[in-house]
Amino acid sequence: MVGASVERRLYFEDVQMNVPLETPGVTLTETHTALFASLTLSRPVDPGAIPDLVPLCMSSGLGWRVPQPPLVVLAFMGFEWRFLKPTRVGDTIRSVSKTVAKRSMKDGGVVIEERSILNQRGEVVQSGRLTLLVAKRPSA
Amino acid sequence: MSGEPVVYFEDIQLGEQYTSPGRTVTEADIVIFAGLSGDYNVLHTDAEHMKASLFGERIAHGLLGLSIQQGLLDRVVPGQAVGPLAAVKWKFKGPIKIGDTIHVEARVAAKKDGERSDAGLITVERRVVNQRGEVVQEGETDHVVGRRPV
Repeated sequence: MVGASVERRLYFEDVQMNVPLETPGVTLTETHTALFASLTLSRPVDPGAIPDLVPLCMSSGLGWRVPQPPLVVLAFMGFEWRFLKPTRVGDTIRSVSKTVAKRSMKDGGVVIEERSILNQRGEVVQSGRLTLLVAKRPSA
Repeated sequence: MSGEPVVYFEDIQLGEQYTSPGRTVTEADIVIFAGLSGDYNVLHTDAEHMKASLFGERIAHGLLGLSIQQGLLDRVVPGQAVGPLAAVKWKFKGPIKIGDTIHVEARVAAKKDGERSDAGLITVERRVVNQRGEVVQEGETDHVVGRRPV
């Protein structure tokens, strides 16, 4: 493997079904809103409001901060998502996810992850299902 | 609030179409998004690793493409017509590479009554198209839009 690292990785074969994984939290700040606005070239209407897509985007990064190696995702294929409650500057979000389906394919496998984003009061602010193409363990 | 006129549910026509300006996705966009989201997957951050991959180079995060199209579409939709998101169904169909120029083609696909009597639900079909006319992302978004006060 080119650029192979010593970092441990999880492959399709390692994915366990229905095991909930909870991430640490991250506090949403006005800086997140400003960075996101400058990246997407959009104007924040209300500087105290967190743009709808920010918690979703940050939940992928939160998935890297759990006590297990990252999944070798080859491609993000799609998702279905619901925005249930707004988030504001000062809210602290975390994500809880589990694999609800996995299907082996010729090259890799498809994993369906159910993910919810919770705020500091334990309210689900966003949730949905993500479809990922994950690598199979390379044969030694 | 901006000085733009308020757009109500009644003002949005079924079948209405919008085409956004284009935007060239840069390496800086990907680096900033990796930092903001904390998603450091090698797909987006390791140029050497990606040389040997199917894509041949780093690609933009799918959610970066989604975020950029949201900003692009906001520039052509009047007022806050397609206001806060209620739901998204989305497919990532092809990679967005550094230097690709994308734009959004969108259409109001449905208007429905929502759970609230003072607002309706609109569904917008969106396609993210690159400089070669390839659809790299597509999906639909639902929005709650206030009705004109009586």
